[in-house]
Amino acid sequence: MNRLIEASNLGKRYGLDWVFRGLEFRLNPGEVVALLGPNGAGKTTLLRVLAGLVRPTQGKLLRQGRVGLLANPPAFHRHFSGEENLRYALRLEGLPIRAEALKAALKAVGLSQRKPVLSYSSGMKKRLAIARIRLLKPDIWLLDEPEAALDAQGRELLEGLVQEARGRNGVVIATHDRGWLSHCDRALDLGALQKADPDRPSSADAARNIG
Amino acid sequence: MRSLWLALRDLTLEFRGRAGILSVVFFLAVMLFILGLAFGPNPQDLQRAAPGVFWVALAFAGSLLASRAFGLEIEDGTLDDLLLTSGSREWIYLGKLAFQLALLLGVGVLLLLITAGLFYLPLGPWPWYLLTLVLGTLGYAAISTFYAGMLARLRGREVLLPLLLFPLVVPVVLSAVRATGDLAGGVPPGEVAGWWQLLVVFDVVYVVASGLLFPYVLEG
Amino acid sequence: MQLTRSSGKRDGLTPALLAGGLLGLLVGFYLALSAPPDVNQGWLVRIMYLHVPMAWLCYLAIFGTLGYSIAYLVRRNPRYDRMAAASAELGLLFSALTVLSGALWGRPTWGVYWTWEPRLTTFAILIAVYVGYFVVRSAIEDPELRANASAAIGILGSINVPISYMSVKWWRSLHQTQTIDLTTGKVNMEPSMLLALMVNLLAFTLLYIAFVRLRGIIAEREAEKLEAQHG
Repeated sequence: MNRLIEASNLGKRYGLDWVFRGLEFRLNPGEVVALLGPNGAGKTTLLRVLAGLVRPTQGKLLRQGRVGLLANPPAFHRHFSGEENLRYALRLEGLPIRAEALKAALKAVGLSQRKPVLSYSSGMKKRLAIARIRLLKPDIWLLDEPEAALDAQGRELLEGLVQEARGRNGVVIATHDRGWLSHCDRALDLGALQKADPDRPSSADAARNIG
Repeated sequence: MRSLWLALRDLTLEFRGRAGILSVVFFLAVMLFILGLAFGPNPQDLQRAAPGVFWVALAFAGSLLASRAFGLEIEDGTLDDLLLTSGSREWIYLGKLAFQLALLLGVGVLLLLITAGLFYLPLGPWPWYLLTLVLGTLGYAAISTFYAGMLARLRGREVLLPLLLFPLVVPVVLSAVRATGDLAGGVPPGEVAGWWQLLVVFDVVYVVASGLLFPYVLEG
Repeated sequence: MQLTRSSGKRDGLTPALLAGGLLGLLVGFYLALSAPPDVNQGWLVRIMYLHVPMAWLCYLAIFGTLGYSIAYLVRRNPRYDRMAAASAELGLLFSALTVLSGALWGRPTWGVYWTWEPRLTTFAILIAVYVGYFVVRSAIEDPELRANASAAIGILGSINVPISYMSVKWWRSLHQTQTIDLTTGKVNMEPSMLLALMVNLLAFTLLYIAFVRLRGIIAEREAEKLEAQHG
């Protein structure tokens, strides 16, 4: 089985408090998984652990393929224009750069200015982040509250992005917005896990299948 | 290759942001001026103090510049994106090291000229000064870049960095001061070679060790 | 106090080492006091019986910290991190004691408390490295990152010792010739003095191992207690 992510008994602790523990998580190619839960349920932390940005306190995590994270809020170099940010993102990933592709990616998200990111609104940054993750073409897409700060048109872009990835790549969407569920194959409710068994290792096999 | 792009990107950002580098240069100029007043006005005294003053000033400047290596990423919140790039993370260290080295060399050459002016350091053997500068700043940057990366997200990193950095760079500063002093005193380069050898050993050991250890400390 | 490891296994070696070290210390103390005075230094030479073993313990601590730090990064066992820290703690304490006893010895023999002598300077640098080690340890909350960062400081700091030593040695030298020349194996000392020194060296070696183990066990207990409270 060619799994993108295979995690067992995963746990992360900050200081002395467990954010989550005993978590089982699998992601197959082509699958879209929703990560639900109220604020503080550990959605962002789990995404960061899955991305390899945070080392889990316990458990095993196997990952195959390149990871892309659409962070909330996304980060860019203020003194670079949107285009420069994208170009360096590609260069540092070791990917080839084609000027038309860059231009097309910016145009697709409705950004064409050469203005520095300094002058961007948070919605524009989100759009730029969508353009970036699209150009980088990761195998694993981790989206952290992707709908935040986006207008209706931006939301459409985003849904298009998820549709684009669906069927080929693995996508994990951390969100409060149950509207995403129609796009997802499975959902994992971190809040329910926490409530069900706050102190003992819990099994995430409670994850409901909705697709 | 990715390392060089990273260094180039950081240099571009640094000059566009203009945050650190100018203030560092001015800080150094003022520092040299005050030291000149303290050691002067006798030209012989100034000349004797020159190599030490030069390297100590550069070491201070280096500790200020070191925080820029990852300060760029912290201010913009882009460190995560850098860490998310695929592959092992040694190349990030090498890129940041190249960036630091370029900054230090630039500041170092400027500083050398100011020292020559204020402290009567004879500029005759300037190619050898440059060699010493390259070897010395490489060793210095190897350690400062490593610790700057390790401390990047910690509170109090401004204090912690010099505390960790300065004890380790004692050999670099010592060797570089002696090499510079000997050259200024008219010692032929052949007799200074021992100090360069020591610097080369230091550089190789610390670039390799830091590069290998870097992926471990850059997390969380 | 019962010395048990988390496995529940009783640790008999640590108390044995501790007892052996303390006994050695007593014997060494007696031998040192009964050894004859030095031709040049007179009774002042007695500081040596303490100063040299202290410095020796520092070298052990440097190797110990280096070894446990590397072991931690390779094996990822928190025990090695605790041992590295224990070793560094001893390194800090004893490099401070070495500098202090060196200064007390230096005043009557060389006329100054401090000289820019390679070994003395290296020990001073070592103190600074260890201080940095513990300041960073206390500054990082995440245990994994703390262990990684301390291992890195431990490794880089240990590598630095021979390089600092060489650089300062070339820079300036004024120290009596080493009492035991490690490179040639030549010993220039009277047999009874040598015996006293050797016994003390052995005692400090045993004490070093015992202390590191003891400190490691205490740190493990603390970690377990913390775990139990919040598990």
